[in-house]
Amino acid sequence: MLPAHSDHRFYQHYHEIAGEHSSLAQSLNGTWRFHFAPNPQARLQDFWQADYDLSGFDTITVPEHVEIAGYDKLHYINTMYPWEGHHFRRPAHTVGQDTSGTGMFSTAPDNPVGQYALDFTLAPAFAGKTVTVQFAGVEEAMYVWLNGHFLGYAEDSFTPSEFDLTPYLHAGANRLAVEVFKRSTAAYLEDQDMFRFFGIFRDVTLLAKPATHIEDLHIQPTLADDLQSGVVKLDLTCSPVAAGSTVRAIIRDDEGETLMDTTQPAAAAQSFTSDTLVHVHLWDHHHPYLYQLYLEVHDAAGQLVELVPYQFGFRTITIDAQKVIRLNGERLIINGVNRHEWDDERGRAVTAADMDEDIRIMKTHHINAVRTCHYPDHISWYDRCDVNGIYMMAETNLESHGTWQKMGAIEPSYNVPGSVAEWRAAVLDRAQNNYETFKNHTAILFWSLGNESFAGDNIAAMNAYFKKVDPTRLVHYEGVVNDREYEDRISDVESRMYAHPEDIVKYLGNHPKKPFLLCEYMHDMGNSLGGMKAYTDLIDRFPQYAGGFIWDFIDQAIAVTDPVTGQKVHRYGGDFDDRPADYEFSGDGLLFADRTPKPALQEVSYYYGRYDK
Amino acid sequence: MADTTNKKLRVIYGDVTLGVQSDRVQYIFNYTRNGLESLVVDGKEWLYRTPLPTFWRATTDNDRGNGFSQKSVQWLGADMFMKAAGATVKIDGEPIDLPIAPGNNQYSDHEYADSVAVTVHFTTATIPTTAVQVEYRIAADGTLTMHVHYTGNANLPDLPVFGLRLIMPTKAVRYTYQGLSGETYPDRMAGGVPGTYTIQGLPVTPYLVPQDNGVHMATDWVEVVRATTQDNTQLTPGEFGLRISSVDAPFAFSCLPYTAEELENATHIEELPPARRTVLSILGAVRGVGGIDSWGADVDKPYHIPAGEDIDFSFKVAPL
Repeated sequence: MLPAHSDHRFYQHYHEIAGEHSSLAQSLNGTWRFHFAPNPQARLQDFWQADYDLSGFDTITVPEHVEIAGYDKLHYINTMYPWEGHHFRRPAHTVGQDTSGTGMFSTAPDNPVGQYALDFTLAPAFAGKTVTVQFAGVEEAMYVWLNGHFLGYAEDSFTPSEFDLTPYLHAGANRLAVEVFKRSTAAYLEDQDMFRFFGIFRDVTLLAKPATHIEDLHIQPTLADDLQSGVVKLDLTCSPVAAGSTVRAIIRDDEGETLMDTTQPAAAAQSFTSDTLVHVHLWDHHHPYLYQLYLEVHDAAGQLVELVPYQFGFRTITIDAQKVIRLNGERLIINGVNRHEWDDERGRAVTAADMDEDIRIMKTHHINAVRTCHYPDHISWYDRCDVNGIYMMAETNLESHGTWQKMGAIEPSYNVPGSVAEWRAAVLDRAQNNYETFKNHTAILFWSLGNESFAGDNIAAMNAYFKKVDPTRLVHYEGVVNDREYEDRISDVESRMYAHPEDIVKYLGNHPKKPFLLCEYMHDMGNSLGGMKAYTDLIDRFPQYAGGFIWDFIDQAIAVTDPVTGQKVHRYGGDFDDRPADYEFSGDGLLFADRTPKPALQEVSYYYGRYDK
Repeated sequence: MADTTNKKLRVIYGDVTLGVQSDRVQYIFNYTRNGLESLVVDGKEWLYRTPLPTFWRATTDNDRGNGFSQKSVQWLGADMFMKAAGATVKIDGEPIDLPIAPGNNQYSDHEYADSVAVTVHFTTATIPTTAVQVEYRIAADGTLTMHVHYTGNANLPDLPVFGLRLIMPTKAVRYTYQGLSGETYPDRMAGGVPGTYTIQGLPVTPYLVPQDNGVHMATDWVEVVRATTQDNTQLTPGEFGLRISSVDAPFAFSCLPYTAEELENATHIEELPPARRTVLSILGAVRGVGGIDSWGADVDKPYHIPAGEDIDFSFKVAPL
């Protein structure tokens, strides 16, 4: 698998940008051949071979959850692990020395496997190029083969996994085989409060890389102290690099005025630095001003071979001496929501229309911030937040509350990642995937280490990682409240969930060590969201109070046709004979699952509107 | 007998009922049914059953999380099984004995009055009990003013709601009200925009698990429009309406096709029975919905309905 890198798109020609139709990308979305194995033992052992007879296979749509396709049972459960009451498990290395747990998932009777195969024809223009396949989201563990050759394995369901196909690629017909396991050790780290799905649920794309290709891009817009002028530094990694090729970097403002136009020989690693830009336009919610970067790669003959467009803004996010969070020097007030990706027909395989509607609703109702609870979202969601001035708390794909939250008690005896050495690399990899993929998004003000995973050395190591690679943003983590020993090593902010207003007053009225925000509040389950004023009043009382993120944006429920009445209705946990379940506990949105607003939304609009400045 | 023929209201002193008639509106109070059994406007019946005090709201997710329904469960029984402890009648402001035989033998078929007041005394099916009075006052022009009184008793748990529930025989086409936009509750009404709003049909807010919904706070008036009756001679007479308006203070109401108990019993909206009636609840006290969390945090104190304090509210009922 290729190392994580920036999420930039690349094109061959300028005219391809507007429609996002790159002639260097070939979508593999569509109908794939599919075999469902209810457990690992029932897998077809050789299905990945190039000449395997697929005539007995079903079909499935990519992207789609296997459960939505009807192969595996729908199941909603919150903190409990989905095997609760079915199997006894403890995470490897948590309860004694000899607990590696070998085979815990790979031979488990409750671990269905989706075996996917696709015969595709390589676009003729791709021949002779480096070609990779990018899976934007596969839950929860996958093996990949091309033409019978094993390419690799990936976890971390919500960030892209990319594999180099070049050595095994044929001109013309090829076969891609993907084996997706519903459970793996990653299950301990992906215990999010949501429907538990598996399968290829985001786009699959072939990417053809020209002889010189920009593999990674790091845009670093830096403002002078007076916030009037700025400099942009660009760090590029190219792979491959053809002799004699060049990279031209162009920056324009939103009126098309060219602010930088510099050409350098292409190199494996190189940097561009702009001149000082005077009268820089700052980016914020009301004025999400973005500058346009173009990177042109030319071959030795001067031919344009690759074009990378990216938009970026200038903004600073800091904490002042009085512990007030400041965006561009002004106090930051978060009128936020937590947003799970959701579509009542498609689950987390959301569409562009879903995302556009979410943005429209946010802007209509003065919602200025979103926490990507509790995993990285579809890449284009970050673009939308940049363009629309929606502040982001970009959360790493980590939630392990089942290892320490038990019937309301805090009982971390087998918590992971905790301080268990064997779990460190896995969570650092998740942090790195999150950072490397999304580092260029202006909208991201906070990196979040994950949700409800308790605290320990491994979370501290994630915090240290983000601090090392990105001194320009704040790091958020709530779980440190459960172990104050880590307070100075984890999280730039005091973050709580569902704190009562009087408890917040206690913290803020007593020389707060950090700014305060609520990563979750106003639990909008059913008919709720009363008493919001008690929270917005805190904005007036305490400059260190930065607001919060309502729980949450949209109900998670599944649209079905009721067999008795014939009505289209919404079903929730337990409605699929899925047990144990957490029933309607995922129905906490400001929107119903079909995106119609709940009555409470007008209240949010009113209070957020009062602080929308 | 005094000559009463210049007075506006005709009074029929029945053996079981008291009939009161004006130009457009005819009322029948039934002593065995504990109140107003019939309210006919321009020949159309508006009551399916006698209006009764209501105390219960279908448990919200917040109520479930903090155990409110268990603490206040007595009010569910009170809501379903109201006990009446008699009625009193005043004609032109003067109390009279219940006018049933043989006492009513003194009357004729030509009895008139300028005002009629009937008060029904209820006792709640709670331990301890408390008293509720529902007073109907009919003015000379035929307009009905209702006053509902709850007698506080500090030994009872907080109330989920307090109001008067009118069930109409058929499902309304729409209702129009002057008040706040959207569904509002005492602790969630700041975003409600004052105005006049029309709600088509009788929508139930489709919360995943059916629960109390559709309350409108701070209302000046509401008009309910129906187009169907149960009267076999005029099943579809065309649209006709009734207006409820405030007397001395705005009121809260909900207008749904279900009672609290029907909503309470459903785990999904599609389990609710086919909508066939109109349940108009005029509410004198509404508990907030809360929102801090859904697993224990209570509704803020100012938005409770403490059982120890008296509750009084009034409203007017008139033809459109």
